[in-house]
Amino acid sequence: MTEPAAATGTPVDPALEPDVLAFLHLEARLADEARYSEWESLWAADGVYWVPMGPDHDPRVNLSYVYDNRKRIRSRVAQLNSGARHSQTPPSVMRRLLTNVEVLDRGADTVTVGANFVLYEYRHALTTWAGRVVHTVRRRPDGSLELVAKTVHLVNAGGPVPTLAFLI
Amino acid sequence: MTELDTRPPEAAPPRTDVDDLVQHDRVHGSVYTDPEVFELEMEQIFRRGWVYVGHESEVPEPGDYVTRRIGGQPVILTRGKDGVVRVLMNRCAHRGNRLCNAESGNSTTFRCPYHGWTFNNDGSLVGVPMRTGYDKEFLARRSEIGLAPTARTDSYRGFVFASLAAEGITLAEHLGRATTAIDRLLALSPDGRLDLRAGWMKHQHMSNWKMVMENNVDGYHALFTHESVYSAVREAKVSHVPSKVEVCVRDMGDGHSEIDYSAEYTRLDEEFVWFGRAPRAKLPNYVAAMERAHGPADTHRALVVGPPHTLIFPNLFLAEMNIMMVEPIAPGETVAYTTPALIPGQDELNGRMLRRTEGAMGPAGFLIADDGEIGARNQLGLAARKPDWIVLARGRDTDEADETGLVNHDKSAETPQRGWWAHWAEVLGGRYNSRDGAES
Repeated sequence: MTEPAAATGTPVDPALEPDVLAFLHLEARLADEARYSEWESLWAADGVYWVPMGPDHDPRVNLSYVYDNRKRIRSRVAQLNSGARHSQTPPSVMRRLLTNVEVLDRGADTVTVGANFVLYEYRHALTTWAGRVVHTVRRRPDGSLELVAKTVHLVNAGGPVPTLAFLI
Repeated sequence: MTELDTRPPEAAPPRTDVDDLVQHDRVHGSVYTDPEVFELEMEQIFRRGWVYVGHESEVPEPGDYVTRRIGGQPVILTRGKDGVVRVLMNRCAHRGNRLCNAESGNSTTFRCPYHGWTFNNDGSLVGVPMRTGYDKEFLARRSEIGLAPTARTDSYRGFVFASLAAEGITLAEHLGRATTAIDRLLALSPDGRLDLRAGWMKHQHMSNWKMVMENNVDGYHALFTHESVYSAVREAKVSHVPSKVEVCVRDMGDGHSEIDYSAEYTRLDEEFVWFGRAPRAKLPNYVAAMERAHGPADTHRALVVGPPHTLIFPNLFLAEMNIMMVEPIAPGETVAYTTPALIPGQDELNGRMLRRTEGAMGPAGFLIADDGEIGARNQLGLAARKPDWIVLARGRDTDEADETGLVNHDKSAETPQRGWWAHWAEVLGGRYNSRDGAES
């Protein structure tokens, strides 16, 4: 799999396939709308969902806010689906914007895409989240897409960070 | 008049009589919400008592520093060229600028960006630009001017505490029986050392700091607050139904308290129950290092008994293999800092520990995110002024005194909370830190 790209990167290719962009928009919308199982179904078997605490951190030695392998992604979704995940019961009302989209890397069957995001979360009050999100998407032999890596570099990764129980 | 006190001089003194707020099995709801109570806590607990500041492993080399706050006051925890760990007030002695603005780093001097005054990291003033502008009187006093040290700094086995008060009880007196919990954690390290450098999660809780603290030793809430984990993800390491386990809660005295799983783990005689029941075969280097250091029998016992689940008054929680420190921001706002207690050189263990900390703790943790939500709702609920009291009566008739403190063999008993609040009232009433009953 492609190594997760750093918070910044140099665009390698101006063209992003329309279906990959649509896939990223779908991922964003499913997360916004708390459609947890549908969101989970986007993930590849070797997927990693990562929210680091610093732009240059190494998950082998640095603590992260989230470092979910595929098994833990399943657990996270199961907890959200339980109806007793109090920090998301009821789910936050959310809408996020994905913008400044650039292709950062290409592998044999993968493309790594960097974008900026702004997320408005309404729960007890309106909270604004923002940062850099880097997706690695793999094209399966049948042409369909799956999510291999999603890394979210929060602008406020240095903290303090409010409760972050939703899918960011 | 205290530094954070912004009331006009003619204002009445605080009306708060602590003894009206804490009774043997209940506390008044205003202890979580009243700004006057919060201000009294900053004075009596955070400016007069011992407060956890950091760990020696965070500043291993001369010049290493981390910046922290004690009751809102910025401090620098730093190791001098002489190897001594000091806690200095993070304020330029000239005009008050916050001197060190990074979270951590290495520097043997700090230079103020405002007028260029430079201080050694032992606090001494080593450079004043354009010194000819000062008169003889100032230059004669120059050697007396430096960064203010906290009045007292002391440590226990790497855990560094500071007191902003020049006089009062010793750290050993403050810690009391809580040293047993630090010892229990360090028994899991082959050489008795820890490494707290994986990074701190900083989780903003919209609740009072005491709620964040006392919840950590609440053995009653898990089945409800954390129901989603046990129903949808995995079973608890041992049952949270009190009648099914030999788990006790303990008021250790001096405000310290714990949930103690050791009897249950000893009954099971199974290693690493506290570490996801990892088999020895997954941690061969760690087990070998432990056996070299402690021998097979003591290693087995340490790996069975596991780490502490112990709250050390006022702001430190030994959260099994995590360290949590809590910083009050306002009556309804707290920041909890969490990092794993890594064992130096044990990469296979530490890698698992990082993932376990992320799984359980912090803003996205499977456990603590829900504690944060429940705490926020507690704060919202307490906006209702009635009923007056929070009820902490559970298990009061079954507490038993022994040499370890006040123990209750029902893990859901509110024994730790009663111990916390009795101590809190002593401290806020000015009766504890001087130990002679007089206001210092």
